[in-house]
Amino acid sequence: MTRPNDSINRRDVLQIAAASGAASLLVSQSTSAVEEESQPLKIVDTNVSLFHWPFRRLPLDQTAKLIKKLRTLGVTQVWAGSFEGLLHRDLAGVNGRLAQECRQHRELVPIGTVNPLLPGWEHDLGQCFGKHGMPAVRVYPNYHGYTLQEPRFLQLLEKVTTAGRFLQLAAMMEDTRTQHVQHQAADVDLEPLPALLDRLGRARVQILNWRPRAALLEKLAKIPGIFFDTARAEGTDGVPQLVEKVGKERVMFGSHAPFLIPEAALIRVHESSRLSKSSLRTVLAANARRLAGKGA
Amino acid sequence: MIDNATLRLGLPTVEQLTQYRIWDSYFTPSHSYPGADGTSSLVREIERSLPAIKKGQFEKLCYFPHVGIGTTTDNRLEERLRAEPELILKPLERWPKLLMGMIQLNANDVPASLAALDRWLRDGPMLGVYFTGSGPGAATCTDKKVLPLVERIAELNGVIMQHTWFITGGKDRPGQTTPAELAGLAAKFPKQKFLCAHAGGEWQKGIRAVRDQQNILVETSGFDATAGFIEMAVRELGAERIVFGSHLPSRSLGTELGKIVGAEISERDKRLILGDNYRKLLQPILGQQQKKKQG
Repeated sequence: MTRPNDSINRRDVLQIAAASGAASLLVSQSTSAVEEESQPLKIVDTNVSLFHWPFRRLPLDQTAKLIKKLRTLGVTQVWAGSFEGLLHRDLAGVNGRLAQECRQHRELVPIGTVNPLLPGWEHDLGQCFGKHGMPAVRVYPNYHGYTLQEPRFLQLLEKVTTAGRFLQLAAMMEDTRTQHVQHQAADVDLEPLPALLDRLGRARVQILNWRPRAALLEKLAKIPGIFFDTARAEGTDGVPQLVEKVGKERVMFGSHAPFLIPEAALIRVHESSRLSKSSLRTVLAANARRLAGKGA
Repeated sequence: MIDNATLRLGLPTVEQLTQYRIWDSYFTPSHSYPGADGTSSLVREIERSLPAIKKGQFEKLCYFPHVGIGTTTDNRLEERLRAEPELILKPLERWPKLLMGMIQLNANDVPASLAALDRWLRDGPMLGVYFTGSGPGAATCTDKKVLPLVERIAELNGVIMQHTWFITGGKDRPGQTTPAELAGLAAKFPKQKFLCAHAGGEWQKGIRAVRDQQNILVETSGFDATAGFIEMAVRELGAERIVFGSHLPSRSLGTELGKIVGAEISERDKRLILGDNYRKLLQPILGQQQKKKQG
């Protein structure tokens, strides 16, 4: 019987990263700021999902069409989860299909789904990092039915951290006001997150789809291992306000496409003209490359 | 280098945006409260929106001033607005080419609202009304108190913007209106056009609810940039029944303009939604007020 935990040690991570192409995510730490500035902007979208949203068809829910649109917007790397991960229980199958789909398009980096409440979740995690060479896994606590105080969530976070990878935590997927009446998922309560990351010094978590709330943001801002995306940083100056609060190194472009229109988050990053060119570059690309690179 | 001119980072070119001739039907600076002095918060929020307005190449925006008829919870402000109506005009005077106004009505105070319609619509310069879904002025549009107000607005050729939401699990506060309820009201006034603000939020239901009521147009702001909304609205209602709103600055240009420019619809339909339809809707009252000025 496979012992999944064994498959995600540091040495394997390096081997897998090199073999799977995840090493291409590495950004040279020696690249000078001047060199970086002179490069064309290569946007990284850290928050995309493939396949079908469970509750309706979306205009861009076919991968080739989605990639074509993202290319026109200047996106050159796409961190892709799977909508199938929300409700399916066979997550090994979900992650396998995701990995296979991502191999068809050079931009795609697969981010598998793990549900720590499912029996044998460690196996899924091992496959994500081992077999599929993923730099991170994504969790949906509100769709999978647990809070961040769930002990198995902490175990998952520990294993991800030990593997030198990071976790993407979807704080929500859809506004609670518009959800299906028979399937309502309240936004994830992020209050326990700072204490968890305090316990795991090196853990890195990117929160997806969160609409920043002042009081909680104060607490999250104090934890350097917590990163944010731009998908629902609403308001004309929502992104610069987030950057001012947590620092430009901790905000990464994420669109939540194809559920949300990808232009929305992209325009929002610059519409107030409050971010400098350097900050724009950091948010749109450099932070993501740095985060993924550290893991591998 | 970052080549904004080429990438535009999600936005169409300046030339393309200019050709759309964008008129925003739902501009919400300090929507609930303009500040104790009647203008300071409002002006600050308009200024906060200006970079996005410029970036989007908007021609005009319509906001919803409070006019001292009890639509806020600040009694001193209400008194001040009644005593100093010139305060209400300040933003329009400061940005005369950019801004238009539609007054917030208080459906719970019909006499005051009727008087306000004469003062601000009949005599100008306001172009219509906003029926809110929250606060002291809110009443569900099926409330009988609303009927005499709609009758008078129709006489004055005013435009009606009704806040609507379909919330999963039902209404979460009194005074809210659903698109289905608006359809009921609109059926009583077939010659009057109604704007269904936010298309009900849960637009899959909202669009269905107003589909057969041809005198209702849906407004596009007020919810996340959920993909497929505009495509469904064009399919079910026709582009002629969709009007753009920005909800700036509490929502973003990205979210709201992105819904239209990112939709899989024709350029003709985008032009209709972003400006043509709204201009057509405003034409009667604009023409009427123009005549009054000249004569």
